[in-house]
Parts: sequence; structure tokens; C-alpha cells
Amino acid sequence: MLLIRAIIRPEKKDEVLSALSEAGYHAATIMDVVGRGKQKGITIGGVVYDEIPKTLILMAIPDEAKEAVVGIIMKTAKTGTSGSYGDGKIFVLPMEEAYTVSKGVAGL
Amino acid sequence: MKEILAIVRMKKTGATKKALISAGVAGFTAIRVLGRGRKVEDNEVIMPCKTRLMEMAVDDVLDLHDTEEEITTFLDGTRLFPRRLFTILVHDEDVPRVIEGIMIANKTDRGVGDGVIFVLPVLDAIRIRTGETGEAAIW
Repeated sequence: MLLIRAIIRPEKKDEVLSALSEAGYHAATIMDVVGRGKQKGITIGGVVYDEIPKTLILMAIPDEAKEAVVGIIMKTAKTGTSGSYGDGKIFVLPMEEAYTVSKGVAGL
Repeated sequence: MKEILAIVRMKKTGATKKALISAGVAGFTAIRVLGRGRKVEDNEVIMPCKTRLMEMAVDDVLDLHDTEEEITTFLDGTRLFPRRLFTILVHDEDVPRVIEGIMIANKTDRGVGDGVIFVLPVLDAIRIRTGETGEAAIW
């Protein structure tokens, strides 16, 4: 099992989530975060904005779904045809165990 | 060393905290998140709740069809729900005990929406105050 942490533009949230849901990956946890990337934030007229609002998506998926989920997020979170700075990042973490409380069993 | 991510109902925050303390966990981080789980296809699970919500709906100002759609999407998991995300760092041997505690505290008879628990491996932890690393940094 894997845990996907995707940091995307807040305005792309709905698009990414509905694309994932259509592909059958419905479960997700969403939180609002602020951060900066390697461009060191945005500089507008001498003022540096390095706390740029982004949306963080957490998803637990089986190993074989990695390609599909990463592909969907990559495709839908991209702005323009070639993408631009600030479109976000996707991190894939190993996950050892998962439990569903309502069912009381291990597994996704 | 393991990191436990537990997503629980907002109302169960207190119960989860109590369960963590009795399981011997010293510290944790909790933040507010939005989330959705698997789509609920079993009608029996949402029907009792739906009937109750439909009775509450004001039918003389609202379009009944719209109301029904809103309630259905609310109950079948299409929309996002507020939840509390707990991040807990524990020793390997404490993982089963902590999970057991969270499971017992959060179990309800509603059938869906009780949350999930993830266990992730952690490579290292450092306590900033003392500079301790590894297992010593947890508690």
C-alpha cells in the first residue's frame, strides 16, 4: 500500500478530485496548506510572498494503482499545455498497514 | 518507529484523545481536514439517515428534488466531510495497542464514516530541545 501526498493549486482541487472519482479512486483527505517551492515564492514589486496557499491531498492506494493515480493528478493539476511553476508536487510514501474503523478490519 | 495517521469524526476528537492517553501515547498533532471515503452504494446504510433528513427539510420554499439530491450526495460520500486528522509517532511495539484504542473509541453503529487509520514507517525523529534522535526522541 502507498500513501500519496499531492500538493496542488487550490483552484484545481475540484477538477482533480472529480477526475480521481471517475477513475474509481474516490477516497481522499484534503487540507489547506501554505508553502513555497524552489522558486522561493513569488516576488511582486519587491514584496516576497513565500506562503502561497496550496491544497494537500492525501490518498491511500494499493501498490498497483500508483501509475494511474499519479497520472491522473499529473494530467489534471497541470496548467496550460506544458505546465507552469506552482502546479505542485506529488510524493509517494510507503504505508505498512491500513484499518477501516467502521468495518473493524485491516485493509483499505 | 511508526507514524500513525488516524482520520476520525469531529465529535470523536475527545474520545480519541482519551484513548490515546490510556494507550500511553504522550504527544500527537491534530488538524482539521476535509475528506471523503469510499462511495456508499449500499442503500440500507443511508436510508434511515435520509428519511430523517428529508423530514427536516422545509418543503414549501425548497424544491423537493433539489433537496433530495443534496441529501443523497451528502450521505453517499460524493461531497467532502470535515474530519480530524491525528498524527501520532509511536514505538514499533506500541502500534497494535494504539490502533486497538483508536478503533474502540471511534466505532459507531452507523456502518460508514468512522474513519481510517494508516501506519507509515519513519526513518528518524529528532527532539529539537535536546537533540536526541531515534527511539529516544519519541518519549
